[in-house]
Amino acid sequence: MPAAPLVLLVDDSALVTEALAVLVEAMGHRCATAASVAEAVAVARADPPTVILLDLTLPDGDGLALLDRLREAGAPIPVTVALTGHDDAATRARCLAAGCRAVLTKPVSTATLLGGLADWTAGATP
Amino acid sequence: MSKLSPALDPIVLLPSEGARPGALAPSDAPSARAPEQEALRSGARDPGGSPAVDANDPFDVRLAALEAQAGEAAHLIAELQARDRLKTQFLANISHDLRTPLTAIITHAEILRDGMLGELSEAQRRSVLGIIKGGHQLLQMVGEILTYARGAADQLTLAPTAFALAPVVEQLVVLNQPLAAKHDVALAADVPTTLPLIHADREKLTHVLGNLVGNAIHFTPPGGRVWIAARLAGGAPTVEGGSGRELVVEVGDTGIGIAPEHHELIFREFAQVDASTSRTHHGTGLGLAIARKLVELHGGRIWVESALGEGSRFYFAIPLDG
Repeated sequence: MPAAPLVLLVDDSALVTEALAVLVEAMGHRCATAASVAEAVAVARADPPTVILLDLTLPDGDGLALLDRLREAGAPIPVTVALTGHDDAATRARCLAAGCRAVLTKPVSTATLLGGLADWTAGATP
Repeated sequence: MSKLSPALDPIVLLPSEGARPGALAPSDAPSARAPEQEALRSGARDPGGSPAVDANDPFDVRLAALEAQAGEAAHLIAELQARDRLKTQFLANISHDLRTPLTAIITHAEILRDGMLGELSEAQRRSVLGIIKGGHQLLQMVGEILTYARGAADQLTLAPTAFALAPVVEQLVVLNQPLAAKHDVALAADVPTTLPLIHADREKLTHVLGNLVGNAIHFTPPGGRVWIAARLAGGAPTVEGGSGRELVVEVGDTGIGIAPEHHELIFREFAQVDASTSRTHHGTGLGLAIARKLVELHGGRIWVESALGEGSRFYFAIPLDG
């Protein structure tokens, strides 16, 4: 039996990653967390995630830098969903251009995440 | 007042010596001094280039004191403005940071509600629903404060697109139907689909409309009506070459109405006309101030026509082109 999909939660607030972790694990997925771009790169390289939920504002820079760093390292690019507090069109365009599957504006409802995670992890082969 | 804001004192303090109230009035001055005072007023200076100030002249002393006061006042105003900007920035930061833990609380509660961690008893479920309901209400208010603070700090930007108003209004009516039903208020819209497309920030205009409709429902007694209408108004061509045409949107109600002397006040931040009504309304008091800010960002205007007991009609006008 293949391992359950791994969801990497990247946010510098432990409150956020803890709440999302409960949700992700309740759905039967595996879960990893990271609080910075550097930490996320290390976690993603050690165990490639199926999905990344990525906060854009991280202590060591722009969250989207994570995708550049993974590409530079030749690592697979997981389905990435950006979480942002800024609901403007420019941010959305920037995320999609960087390769994000979707852009969710914080606060994200549980229902949106449940529906989204089912979609993003569907047919995944980690 | 002065106990609360000691920094303001210098503005109202008068020089303790050499001056008396009314000393500036020509009729008060000793007649022998009159020519010198005229010279001073017309800007005459002594050969050395400094103002002809006579330390013994009550007029000169008074003038110098006033100039010093004016300087201090200008300095204080600048300082207060700087503090006001800091406070606004603080408000924007803090409300942004308030949302993070609040969202986490709501997420945890929703996970419990959805039975993802096991089935809940009916009493447990009711309790969790209370957490979620309170959390969402708080989140909405924090969001409103954040929008207000960003607006006050000129950090709100528009993302305009061309869109039709009718579907936006239609969606809003559907969204507010449950609230209207709860208040036993009939909610209807009459927005012609033939209106031209509007070039504006859809989300922000939806916010303005939602705010006006929410207010109308809240302040209309059971059995009343709330309506949304829109029409095209042809204004005078503008200097910039625009046609002057604008889209005028109306949100009317048969509610308690607003006294004319409050028509300006209600669009100011923190204003709540009737505290007893507002207490049942659960508002931040920022809704209409935000609506005004968002409409003005579009180059439009917002106003109300109302009288006590005769319902209210809120209007906002958005320029269509130019």
